[in-house]
Parts: sequence; C-alpha cells; structure tokens
Amino acid sequence: MNIILLGLNHKTAPLEIREKLSGAASDETHPLREIMQIAGVREAFYLSTCNRTEVFFHVDEKPEETLGLLKAYLRKRGNFGAEDIDRYFYLHFDENALSHLFRVTSSLDSMVMGEPQILGQVKESYREAVDNDATGILLNKILHHAFRVAKRVRTETGIASHAVSVSYAAVELAKKIFGNLAGKTVILVGAGEMSELAARHLMQHGASRILIANRTFERSVQMADFFRGEAIRFEDLEKRLQEADIVITSTGAPNYVISQEMVASALHRRKNRLLFLIDIAVPRDIDPAAGQLDNVYLYNIDDLQDIVDENRNIRQLEAEKAEAIVADEVKRYWEWYNTLEVVPTIVSLKEKTEAIVRGELEKSSPWIQNLPEEERVHIEGLLSSVVNKILHDPIVGLKDKTIHRSAKPYIAAIKHLFKLEDEPSKKRSE
Amino acid sequence: MDKILLNIALVGYFVSTTGYLGSLLIRRIFLAKISTWLLAFAFFFHTATLFTQYILTGQSPVTNIYGSVSFFAWVIAGAYLIFQIRTKTRTLGAIVCPLTFLLVLAASQLLHGGGLLPHNLQGPLVTIHVMLSVTGEALFVLVALAGMLYLIQDYQIKKRRFGALTRLLPPLKDLDRINHYGLLLGFPILTFGLLAGSTWAGEVWGSHWHWDPKLIWALLFWLCFAFVLHQRLAIGWSGHKAALLSLVFLIVLLVSLTVVTLSFPTIHTFR
Repeated sequence: MNIILLGLNHKTAPLEIREKLSGAASDETHPLREIMQIAGVREAFYLSTCNRTEVFFHVDEKPEETLGLLKAYLRKRGNFGAEDIDRYFYLHFDENALSHLFRVTSSLDSMVMGEPQILGQVKESYREAVDNDATGILLNKILHHAFRVAKRVRTETGIASHAVSVSYAAVELAKKIFGNLAGKTVILVGAGEMSELAARHLMQHGASRILIANRTFERSVQMADFFRGEAIRFEDLEKRLQEADIVITSTGAPNYVISQEMVASALHRRKNRLLFLIDIAVPRDIDPAAGQLDNVYLYNIDDLQDIVDENRNIRQLEAEKAEAIVADEVKRYWEWYNTLEVVPTIVSLKEKTEAIVRGELEKSSPWIQNLPEEERVHIEGLLSSVVNKILHDPIVGLKDKTIHRSAKPYIAAIKHLFKLEDEPSKKRSE
Repeated sequence: MDKILLNIALVGYFVSTTGYLGSLLIRRIFLAKISTWLLAFAFFFHTATLFTQYILTGQSPVTNIYGSVSFFAWVIAGAYLIFQIRTKTRTLGAIVCPLTFLLVLAASQLLHGGGLLPHNLQGPLVTIHVMLSVTGEALFVLVALAGMLYLIQDYQIKKRRFGALTRLLPPLKDLDRINHYGLLLGFPILTFGLLAGSTWAGEVWGSHWHWDPKLIWALLFWLCFAFVLHQRLAIGWSGHKAALLSLVFLIVLLVSLTVVTLSFPTIHTFR
C-alpha cells in the first residue's frame, strides 16, 4: 500500500465543491510544493481540471498518517467542511489507483468519454510535477505508462472516432460530402453558440472562407472580425448564396429565411456543385423542401442530434474494449512492480559486476599470463575488493530501505541504471 | 513465362479481392488499405504479363478476344489505382478488384483457347483501334461503378442514415471527381479508337460504315458517352444526375459488348 490516489470528479462532487479546488490552482504557490512538504510523501502528482482534482502520490511508510495530513491540507486549501472530504473524495490504493489514473488519462472517466483534452491536461500537470521536483522514478514510469495506455486506447478502439457534439457531427458530414474541406466557403447566417462553434470547427478542418450575414450589419462586422471572414448584408444573402458550399443558419426568425427557390437558383448558378445546408435554428430557417433538390443535403438540429446519440452508443461499446486494455496494462505494470524485490536485485547486481571483472581479466590475459602466479592472484583479489567496496554502501542502504518498505523506487533506479532487466513497456511485442 | 507472371497477378488480385470484401464485412478501413497495395502488386505483375506476351509473340496483347478482356481489366485496375492516389475512394476497390479478378481469370483460362484474328484483321491500325476503344470503354465502366457507389452514398446521406456504411463509403465529391475525369479522359480515347476502326474498315471493307448491329450499338454507346459528357460540361450536371446517367448508359455498353456480339450476325467478329 504505497501508491495512493485521492480525488474527486464530476460524478462524485457538484460544481460548488469542485470549483473550490480548481479555482485555487492558479495562485502563486503550486499545491505540489505544499504537498511535498507533508511528512511521508515521496513523490506526488496533482491534476486539476474543471471536472476533477486528483492527487496521486507515493508514500514512504505509515500511509494512514500521511493520508490524514493530506486530507487536512486539502480541507484547508478548499475551505471544506469537516465531512466534505470523506463525502466527496474517492480513495484508491495500489492497482486500483493505477487503474483509475490510466482510465482518467485514456478519457474513460471523462464527462464526454473519448474527448481528447484530458490527455493534454494530464501531460501538462505531469510537466508541472517535474518542474516542482515532485516526481521520482516510480511516478515517472507510471505517468509514461499512462500516456502509452491512452495512446493504445485511442488507436485500438473507436472511442474517440465518432463525433459526439452537434458541431463535430456537422464536420464529419461535411467530410463525407466534400471529402476535403480545403477551399470550401461557409456562409454563417445568424448568430448562436452552436452555429459559431460548427463554423469554427469547419474552418479548423480546412474550410478557407467564411461569409457572415446577420439581421444587423454591425453584428455581422463584429463576427467577421472574430472569424476573419467577410460580413455581408442580410438582403444580399440570396445573391451570395451561390458562393457557399456549406450554409449554417441559426437566426431567431419565425419564418423560413432560405426558401427552396433560393436554394434552387443558387444551385443553378453554381452549376450544381454540392451544397450542404445545416439548419440549427428552432423554428427552422431553411425550407425542408430544399433538401429534396439534387446535390443538396439538408440537416436540421434533430438530424444532427440523432447522429450524436448513435455515436454515443458506439462509443459506449468501444469503451468496453478500452476498459479491457486498461485492465491488461494495469496487470502488466503491477507484475513488473512486484518484481522489484531487494534480494534478486542485489544478486543480479553482483552477478553483473562479477561478469565484468571476469571479462576484463580475460581481455588482458596476454600480459597477465606472463606474471608470476602470486601477483596474478593479488591483482584478481584487488579488483574484486574494489568492486565490493563500491557496491557495499548501496547494498546496505537498500537492505535498510527494505525495513522501511520504501526500497522499490531505489530498486527501480538501480535496475534502470545498471540495465539489469527490460522495462515492462519494452517487453510488449509491438 | 507469361503464364507464371499472369498466375502471380491472379493470386494477387484474388487476395486483394478477399481483403477488400473482408474490409467491408468487418467495417474496418485498414484492411482495404492493405488490399490497395496488393492490388498495386497484382497490377504490376499483370503489366509484366502483357509486356512479356508482346516480347515473346511479337504481337500486341489484344490480337484475340481474351487478350482484349485481360487488357480491359488491366485498364480498369490501373485507372482505379491512379484515382486512388488523388481521392479517398478505397471502397471503390471492393467493386473494381473483384471485377478485375473475374475478368482476368476468365481471360487466363481461355487465353490459349482463342485463336488469332483472321489475317485481314491484323495490323497496327487494328491494334490501335482495339486498345483505344477498350481503354475508353474501361474508363467508362470505372465511371459507372463510381456512379453506383455515388448513388448509394447519396441516398444514405439524403435519408440521414449516417451509419457504418456511410463512414465506409467514399466522400461524394471524390466519386464525382472520378466521374468528371473518367469521362473527360475516356471520351477522346474512345473517339480516336472508333476513328481508327473506321479508317481500317475503309481499307478492308471498302466502306467506313456498315449498317451492322455491332457497329450501330457501338455508335449508340459513343453518342451516350458524348451526351453525359456534354451534360456535365455544358449544362453542369454533376453529382447525382451524372452518376445516374453513367450507370444507365453502362447498360448500353454491356449490351453492346455481350448480347450484340454473341447473338447477332455481325461482320465485326473476332472469328
């Protein structure tokens, strides 16, 4: 019981509780600096996003005492009530702590499962931990392992490959229609959070030009500044519709803003090139009859929402595969961790040094052969006593740490530095 | 020698075909990606076969009907591979590849059964006529197959069925681009092919034109081809209409190639 995770997330704690810790992360002292001061904490990692705060740490001995001190620190930091910590925080040990960290990094624990931001946030927090000297050999290894697990989940399952927001569903559709969005023109009619988001995603995926039409021209100009697009007058919409490959509408108008005739005429003028209409407005802005025209694809908010719902189900299925990967990786890591025993390490360390001594003696055999028997024995004795003296302190130190149950990071370090075995990640056949 | 190369090509086409179909079945695109490389591999050996045949016999590979079928398949596969570089149309391979395989298989089984053309039908102009016409027709077949996928994908997106099938099928624009370039390239090639044939006919038969069923159908197909291309370029029929029209006119081509050749008495015969 050396690895502990204490945390809260959007499932266990309401926003009022979560914000107490996440808001505080921006002040001048990084929480890790204070956590590292707590007696018994050897290594620590602190992750704080709007949906979660997690402290992942490695303790020397007496984990209960350290845990108590950490809870007290968090209570003070978040200004929590007496029972809040036990009520909202979850606590995981060893394999379970690892499993939780891997799941978080792989976005299995996110509010929108499969969303990519969390991996970046974990990496950023890890960088902060490294900057604050809070990580050592164990946590470094665990975090790097977590990044690999996240990558494996991403490439081996479809958890991140299906759009689960309306705006991304629009981008996916646009790609199935146009293949490549490069050089495509978007017309954004009306303002609205969802439509602007969709427009932004389309631009990010290659659409090169955006025209903006609003009832009030000033608003169009403002938005055009923001999108680096072109503001057009609402009255000109009919005239300029032919330039659009993709039209997104979200006005508050009670009637159709774009009629079937408008679309038909624009289509004729653009020589029937494909046209994708996205109507996010309620009530609708585009006459549904426009969707019956050849080469026109009309999707309204419900159509997009249906895609999103189905994609959610698909992600759920993919998540089961991802959980299996996480379980597999935790097992793999834990097996490696349990091989970090003192005695076998000392034995293999001694074997390695003896092998080096023997090897060097053989290499220099031509001149050693010419020495008298007595001198040769002296040289051999001298060599092994130098090696033993060098190894003496580290070995005694290791045995000493064993008594305090804190030898594992040192063993890991020795194994790593002396290359006594392969690391768990490299064992895996790629 | 050419037989060995052809067999390697056949095995390649077969494995690639299973790969493409498997990729449709398990709905994973990576299998189709491997299949594309296999197809390229098979195509390479097919090309080598055609060259070897030419070197060994000193005659163009299209001197009999089976050689022409093999050449027909070769053009379809080659044109598809070129389009694949510029577009994201992997699943089109799932139709192109089995078709190529079957055509080459049929041709290879009968390659030595078919005799050479009668003496009066040999000559460079005949070779040019057959090669160009076959290339033009093969390009049209590819255009029509792309059109078929276009119609399926168009239906899916129109009906708002955005499932695994839609994800697997190529983007509409890419399929439409095959339609565009296939027609643009295929039409002049076919036209020159027919002109070469007509020139040769003038020399051998004494007249450039005969009211022969085969020739009438060939002219009809040429008119259809010209019509689609005209609608596309001048009227702006792209996307749905162009795809539909190509698919309809494929029937004319198939009738011309099979029914007319086999069931009507025609002077345009390979025997």
